[in-house]
Amino acid sequence: MNNENQKQMCNFLLDNGIENLIGVPDSTLKHFIAEGLKLKKNIIATREEEAIGIGTGMTLSNSPTIIYMQNAGFANSISTITSLVKLYKIPLLFIIGWRGYLKNDAPEHELVGKIQPKLLKLINLESRVVTDTNWRNNSIWALKKIKQQTPCALIVRRMNVE
Amino acid sequence: MLNKNTAIKIILKNINGPIISANGHISRNLYNIKDFDSNFYMIGSMGLASSIGLGVALKNRNKKIFVLDGDGNILMNLGSLTTIGTLKPQNLVHFVLDNESHESTGGQPTHSNKIQVEKIAQVSNYTVFKIKKVSELEIILEKIKTIKNPIMILIKISGKSQIGKRIEIKPEEIKKRFSENLKN
Repeated sequence: MNNENQKQMCNFLLDNGIENLIGVPDSTLKHFIAEGLKLKKNIIATREEEAIGIGTGMTLSNSPTIIYMQNAGFANSISTITSLVKLYKIPLLFIIGWRGYLKNDAPEHELVGKIQPKLLKLINLESRVVTDTNWRNNSIWALKKIKQQTPCALIVRRMNVE
Repeated sequence: MLNKNTAIKIILKNINGPIISANGHISRNLYNIKDFDSNFYMIGSMGLASSIGLGVALKNRNKKIFVLDGDGNILMNLGSLTTIGTLKPQNLVHFVLDNESHESTGGQPTHSNKIQVEKIAQVSNYTVFKIKKVSELEIILEKIKTIKNPIMILIKISGKSQIGKRIEIKPEEIKKRFSENLKN
């Protein structure tokens, strides 16, 4: 997603009920994260599971929260998602940058990038891939999900490799 | 040395507010001593009680929020100390029941018999108290009422304690009643 759309998506989500962004930075999401920092709605955690913990506390306090991370961090978080988020039905909205989507991405992303869609399916976390053209509709879908107390994820593909 | 059940009983007698308790025996002990709607029993996601507590504290600034953690748990999430110390909630009280072991999995040793967790908390901006006796705990629980800083109360406890039945409330119900209670 381009710079402008990431900023717009961040503002759209914050204008429509999201109160907090918590996560671990990812270059694929850097414009989204920068917007959250500018608006002082963003907490950077030391790792992804910690972010999910903080976000759970805020959600328990009736304050809707986004957790952002790279897919490497999503793989780190599987146990926390199964034994906290899914188990207690904590309605968190995950935004996950997808490295390893392109064949020529850096080698450390290759395997985890390949299994990313399967991981989401296996743990039964509903998700949509967001792009420059569909981000608004998919954001509306995700906001509706969390209102229904269902956690879900929006996935942002890495489309260029430097 | 204090045992875990005694320590939890003294804490419950002297505090009033939401508690987030670590997984394993700590949540089970708390549940069997006294079940409140304001108890969030974290039955999985080892290490994250202090992070959940931080999120609750940041959104409920007018309430003191209590975390009942263990040494094994906090050692799994030391980064949490630095995040709490950076954000400095004035209403978070972080108990660490330190028996220097993973009691719930058979008593295997943790590093807390070699490394003092409270010192890591201290350099992470916490106000820190270390407790070895009942009388000390009662005094500190009174003293913290006026401290406006993240607080760690590390209580050295004996290795083993009696364990009661498993938590019988469904996780979704634990969430609902905790969340409802926070609105009061």
